[in-house]
Amino acid sequence: MSQERIRAEICRVLMERQLSRGGWPALARSEQTALEPTIYSMLALGPSQKHGYERALRCLLDCQNPNGSWPSFIGDEREGAWTTALALIALADNVEAARSQRKGFQWLLRSAGKESSWLWRWKFRTTDRQVRFDSNKFGWPWQPDTNSWVVPTSFAILALHHLPPSWAGELAAFRLQKGTEMLLDRVCPGGGWNAGNGVVYGAALAPHLDDTAVALLALKNRSDEPAVKESLAWLDGNIARPSAPWSLAWSALALAAHSRCVHRLVSSLAQQLRPNDIRDTATLAVLALALDVDRSLRLLTADP
Amino acid sequence: MTISRRDLLIAGTALAAGVSVSAPFLRPPYRIDRRRVRSRVALLRVEDYSRPIDELLFLGLRQFPLRVQGKTVLLKPNLVDYLPGNAINTHPRLVVAAAEAFRRLGARNVVVGEGAGHQRDTQLVLSESGYEHDLRQYGISFVDLNRDELVRVELGASYTDFEHLWLPRTVLRSDFIVSMPKVKAHHWSGVTLSLKNMFGVVPGNKYGWPKNILHWRGILESILDICATVPIHFVIADAVIAMEGNGPLNGSPRALWTVVLADDPVAADATCARLMGFEPERIPHIHEAARFLGNSSPGLIDQAGEGLRRPEVPFQVVPEFQHIRAT
Repeated sequence: MSQERIRAEICRVLMERQLSRGGWPALARSEQTALEPTIYSMLALGPSQKHGYERALRCLLDCQNPNGSWPSFIGDEREGAWTTALALIALADNVEAARSQRKGFQWLLRSAGKESSWLWRWKFRTTDRQVRFDSNKFGWPWQPDTNSWVVPTSFAILALHHLPPSWAGELAAFRLQKGTEMLLDRVCPGGGWNAGNGVVYGAALAPHLDDTAVALLALKNRSDEPAVKESLAWLDGNIARPSAPWSLAWSALALAAHSRCVHRLVSSLAQQLRPNDIRDTATLAVLALALDVDRSLRLLTADP
Repeated sequence: MTISRRDLLIAGTALAAGVSVSAPFLRPPYRIDRRRVRSRVALLRVEDYSRPIDELLFLGLRQFPLRVQGKTVLLKPNLVDYLPGNAINTHPRLVVAAAEAFRRLGARNVVVGEGAGHQRDTQLVLSESGYEHDLRQYGISFVDLNRDELVRVELGASYTDFEHLWLPRTVLRSDFIVSMPKVKAHHWSGVTLSLKNMFGVVPGNKYGWPKNILHWRGILESILDICATVPIHFVIADAVIAMEGNGPLNGSPRALWTVVLADDPVAADATCARLMGFEPERIPHIHEAARFLGNSSPGLIDQAGEGLRRPEVPFQVVPEFQHIRAT
């Protein structure tokens, strides 16, 4: 089957799984809308799948919290979550959503890892030194009142690249700079990223394919950084071993973002796919994004 | 001396204020007491993870009066990440053997569920660790607890300041929960055994990878609140190849050739700690759990199977936990 046909088949399965409220569940046969799969599915379908896309857009706008953030699932607390950055990526360039976007960006710029406070920076420097990281460099947490981690920081950086120029100010530039510094600081020895701990108690921790790929997408414009070069080499060298669709799909997107040829990776990914067997909706949607890599990179990284 | 009505009023007000301020500190932070009159632990000698483990485990479970007929059993292994050569995860052969044993004991449905704490790619951890192959071969379903449907749950204790947690529906719907830890030293909590293993029911989709909020609210406190809320009905601990040193990921394998079975998670963890050469009462979460979740005292634990032998050299731990080693 051709890549286009497999992608069409994935989109068909995604449409089947769309819930009546317009969102998607994390796992097939669940009835609870989760934001991460909803946003990837929305990006994968695109406005050309008019009916499904518009219902998803409505769902996304309806579940925005009063403070401008988004929850991680419908029914969640209203304080906000890491999914806010993904929602802003999905709503980029959508004129209808300008008001929601503005509130969302304002929340995102206020949200920061606990290390952004001088008190916690002092604690990490003096008493809590087993994890090696520079607490002056902070990004975004998974949820309020916790540390910065690699994946939410990467998504927030990607979202801020979609910030309309007229809204971008000093704070956005400062947060982008700090977030980028944080990613570069948290890289694992030898390249690549995991959740965000490169070294604990003097031992180097192993990187993960998906975390590395998401960080590399966020650092798309920093290909000359030694840490980025090393991480690209690590990713390139590790996609050949047996892996799983989620990690490979993110890897394809990241390598393509750094101008690597991913034709063979994407076609081998497509050949192994049986969309109906994949219960995890987010995996299915990210696969659809990887099978349409150029369009997906435009959506994710705000490149023209 | 005469006491006026005014004096009485002042004294009464002061007493009421004192009680209202001190009551939260005097009242225990738990609302349940799951301690048994006596707990039961069995130590099985297991030389490797190959096929004979099935029968051995089944016979071991028969030593307990388990009532699982017609019930949904959730097996909760410790499946964190995969690093070749590191004894990080509960061995998949032990999990399959447990599933087969509970089926033979009449369970209606046996499910394996885990929410890996470090890896977002659950499929990758399953395939690299050997779980995917083994679970498929035996027709055992797996639920990704990081992405399951979530239900808001009031906590059974208040060691943290969480008012509630969102927990996976699969966990809450299970009739019989079996914690299946890998026996490991842990750099933040001293050990990770059946109680700490329950961090894996906290969903990453809501709380992130790792579940950092639990660290900020206190690891000890979070363990106690989670275990007060989600009952552990049975423990099957994998100490065949355990881990010492900088666990849960980067420690060194250390063989104990033992599987620990228990009808009480505190008794299980206290026994595992002794097998590791630790003093369980020096491990804060085990010490505190013994007030309401189970028994840690050897006098309250009936032991079957192999004898409990402490190692000549206790397991290595990071410097902060040297004091838990028996001296």
